[in-house]
Amino acid sequence: MIRKFSIALAAAALFAAPAAAQNIKIGFSLAKTGLFAQAVPSQLNAYELWREQVNARGGLDVAGKKRMVEFVQYDDQSNPGNAVKIYEKLITDDKVELLLAPWGTPHHFAVAPVLEKYKFPMVGNTAASVQLREIKPGNIWFVTSAIPDKMAAELVAMAKANGYKTAGIVANVLPLAKEIKASLVPALQKAGIAVKVSEEYPPDIKDMTAILTKVKAAAPEALFVLSYPGDSVLYAKQAKEIGIAAPFQFVAVGPTMDFFGKVVGPSANGLVTMGHWSPAKADWKRAKPFYDAYVKKFNEKPDYLDTVVSYMSLEILEQAVAKAGTDKQKLRQAIASMTFDTINGPVKFQGVQNAITPTAFLQIQGDELQLVWPKAIATSPFKAKTGW
Amino acid sequence: MAGDYHVGVGLSLLMYVALTQSWTVLSGMTGYVSLGHVVFYGLGAYVAVLLWGEAPLAAIVPLAALAAFAFAALIGLPALRVRGPYFVILTFGLAELAKYVVIVVEGWLGKFSRVIFGAPDIETLYYIMFGLAAAATLMTFLVRRSRFGRGLLALRENEEAAETVGVPTVRFKLLAYALSALVPGAVGSVMVLRQTYFEPAQIFDPVVSFTIVTMAVVGGSEDMKGPLLGAAGFVLLSELLWANAPQLYMVLLGLLLIVFVLFAPQGLSGLLPARRKTP
Amino acid sequence: MDALLSGQLLVAALVTGALYALTALGLNLVYGTMRLLNVAHGDLVMIGAYVAFWAFTLLALSPLLGLVAAAALAALFGLALYHGLFRRLLAGGKAAQRLEANSLLLFFGVSVIVQNLMALQFTATPRGYQYLDTVYRWGNAAITGNRVAAFAVAVILCGGVLAFLRFHVTGLAIKALIQRRDAAAIVGVNVERVQQLALCLGFASAAVAGALVSMTEQISPFMGFPFTIAAFVVIILGGLGNITGGIAAGLLLGVLETYGVALTSSAYRSILVYGVFVLILLLRPQGLLGGRRIVR
Repeated sequence: MIRKFSIALAAAALFAAPAAAQNIKIGFSLAKTGLFAQAVPSQLNAYELWREQVNARGGLDVAGKKRMVEFVQYDDQSNPGNAVKIYEKLITDDKVELLLAPWGTPHHFAVAPVLEKYKFPMVGNTAASVQLREIKPGNIWFVTSAIPDKMAAELVAMAKANGYKTAGIVANVLPLAKEIKASLVPALQKAGIAVKVSEEYPPDIKDMTAILTKVKAAAPEALFVLSYPGDSVLYAKQAKEIGIAAPFQFVAVGPTMDFFGKVVGPSANGLVTMGHWSPAKADWKRAKPFYDAYVKKFNEKPDYLDTVVSYMSLEILEQAVAKAGTDKQKLRQAIASMTFDTINGPVKFQGVQNAITPTAFLQIQGDELQLVWPKAIATSPFKAKTGW
Repeated sequence: MAGDYHVGVGLSLLMYVALTQSWTVLSGMTGYVSLGHVVFYGLGAYVAVLLWGEAPLAAIVPLAALAAFAFAALIGLPALRVRGPYFVILTFGLAELAKYVVIVVEGWLGKFSRVIFGAPDIETLYYIMFGLAAAATLMTFLVRRSRFGRGLLALRENEEAAETVGVPTVRFKLLAYALSALVPGAVGSVMVLRQTYFEPAQIFDPVVSFTIVTMAVVGGSEDMKGPLLGAAGFVLLSELLWANAPQLYMVLLGLLLIVFVLFAPQGLSGLLPARRKTP
Repeated sequence: MDALLSGQLLVAALVTGALYALTALGLNLVYGTMRLLNVAHGDLVMIGAYVAFWAFTLLALSPLLGLVAAAALAALFGLALYHGLFRRLLAGGKAAQRLEANSLLLFFGVSVIVQNLMALQFTATPRGYQYLDTVYRWGNAAITGNRVAAFAVAVILCGGVLAFLRFHVTGLAIKALIQRRDAAAIVGVNVERVQQLALCLGFASAAVAGALVSMTEQISPFMGFPFTIAAFVVIILGGLGNITGGIAAGLLLGVLETYGVALTSSAYRSILVYGVFVLILLLRPQGLLGGRRIVR
């Protein structure tokens, strides 16, 4: 009896051994509740899609060996202090082998010292601030090229290229908007474009009529609305009502999200926004398949900004891990030195920043978001906005 | 290294103890429920952010506490003339007002968000927070047993009657209010150094105010036992449930709050067997 | 130029004011009759918005009809809460002593539960749709169809409630309850029933407001909070429990916001609103239009 049992056991062990290639634990925190909760699905969906795709291929390639991906995730309740705690827990308690980024600039900043302390590399995504450059390089990198001062420079270049002579600025008082504005004003001045109207508003604004009436009266040719998703919608609706006729209208954050088109409808046509990706870009081979897979899984379009940079950060991680495994030192070197092939074309880091992807803008043209600037990567020329 | 995570949890626990004990000195004792206590926390954090790099840590924390104390002393006089639900709503409105004022001030200074470099390590912050939690608990303990505390309780039951028997209600209320601001100001300065990032819209988070009140309800706000129980219970619950469905955790929290308000208004400390009658 | 400004601004002030008034109406009804501080008020608005959204998206039902469903659902919810939670509180006992503070905490618990259940069910992705989007020009001012509709419904509903309170027996009973609770019982008002009605009416009007704003704003589980704050600001301005005052204050706030911002600068809008709010509380807590001082 015992002999049969031990033979059976040995046989089982023999069969069990190759199948027990350990899952790889990848950890992160995202705000499921609180202020940022409505922005997070864009990022979480990218993470989920990636995991599904990787596991369908047999698992993540870790320096030659394939291992199935398992997420360890927590809710940071939109509180950066919680994110700090969670990442410490992920590293020291859950002992994850890889980390993914949380959502948003405050969280990236909060988590950076933790990464520094434990020398744990992580590819950041949904953060945009000029202060990112101040972070010590080595354990965190930022994929996005939508950095406020570069954006301001490019916006002015774009306005100039189209021959616009007057501008208006309507800005939220939150950090990203103000950073853009701080660079935008001097850049406009230098380019000789007159700022006819400049207004600021608090984040909980309910009605922009007073501001927009002033804007309409000033009639600038280029209007820069530095807004967050909620106020972007408010702007679009009220600008339509009041009839803002500027041919160049830039709405900072919002139009790249699927719901924006659904809420605002066809009158959103012609709005320019920040973003550096489009599935229409044929020479980025991975772009269209990603778009199709996302639409198939989630029944809606991806956020051309947040979802894309999140997915890019995963592609980068994937390619780096395939080469260097999970050894922190090797991984760090790989991320810092390799050129990656992503859905947004090639990416290479210089310090903490993405040196290849240009600061670009998208425009809503019909049902699609097209890349319109810089001309070198444009998928469609910029078309002036004619009415709502 | 595994210790670091537990230090982090400990830090959270101590923070909530410090905040809730302070809150109890005002709202538990006087019945003037503050739903905007985060205003002191946020102000303390702002002071720390302004002074970081200019002054040593040993000066920043007390200065943050003093700033909060001064603000409370200033605003307390008119604010405490307001009673009942009006006071509750007022405290909330004050916190929101302070938030927007700081946003505008930061705008004048040309700053929109601040990143703190070279922040002290977690052990240092932990010890400071331990000190703050101990100080706050001691404060509640001492106040409760003092004549001052008895006066506060008297005015909670019936302010006019207390006035008649000679309790200097106006002065006592003001003192309670200012004292309740002291530690939260310091706590704010410590936590902003922990997060190394400051943004006015995010630091004046009403959820902090609500969490303090929740812990006081669940733990009890009669004396120093309550906040200890409330904070411990809260942190324990969050550690247990966090990993699972986070929305479910919040739902549970909501349910707990309702259950306690309806069935155990004295909180957990009220459910404990009374060891001896309090004087 | 000035004429242009006033035409458009007036329209904006009226529409914003009407919505403020409607949002605050429900809160006032609940507070006035039962001294319950409903901090979950904004979440009722959120529920109303979701009902209208799903009715439109799945059933192609106009939100002007969907709001009926929203109102009904909210009223039912109110009944459930009344029987489940508030009966105990209103009846007496230890918890009843600190009624207002306790109700605040209870409603806060409800708010947290509602928000997170909605997030679980529908995810936090923001939603939205367009309806009645055409812009109508009227002299100097322009306005989109949905804002006209929202304004009309808000006015009709506020007017209807005011008329109800003034002319209908049950409406008068509600008023009696608001004025003097104990006296109302003595003159034969069925306190229990009237309370329930007031709660349902209050909840329903919040949901209707939600259905109306769903036409112009994005919808998400955590959208309610700003509405709660706005509603509290309005009812404080108008005097807690003062229905007419609340409606007037709502319009006043709309005017203050729109014109105040036009005169100073939008950046100071929130400081203006909260500053006035805090000042009113400090100097005249019974509100600009409130009558006797309500001291606890």
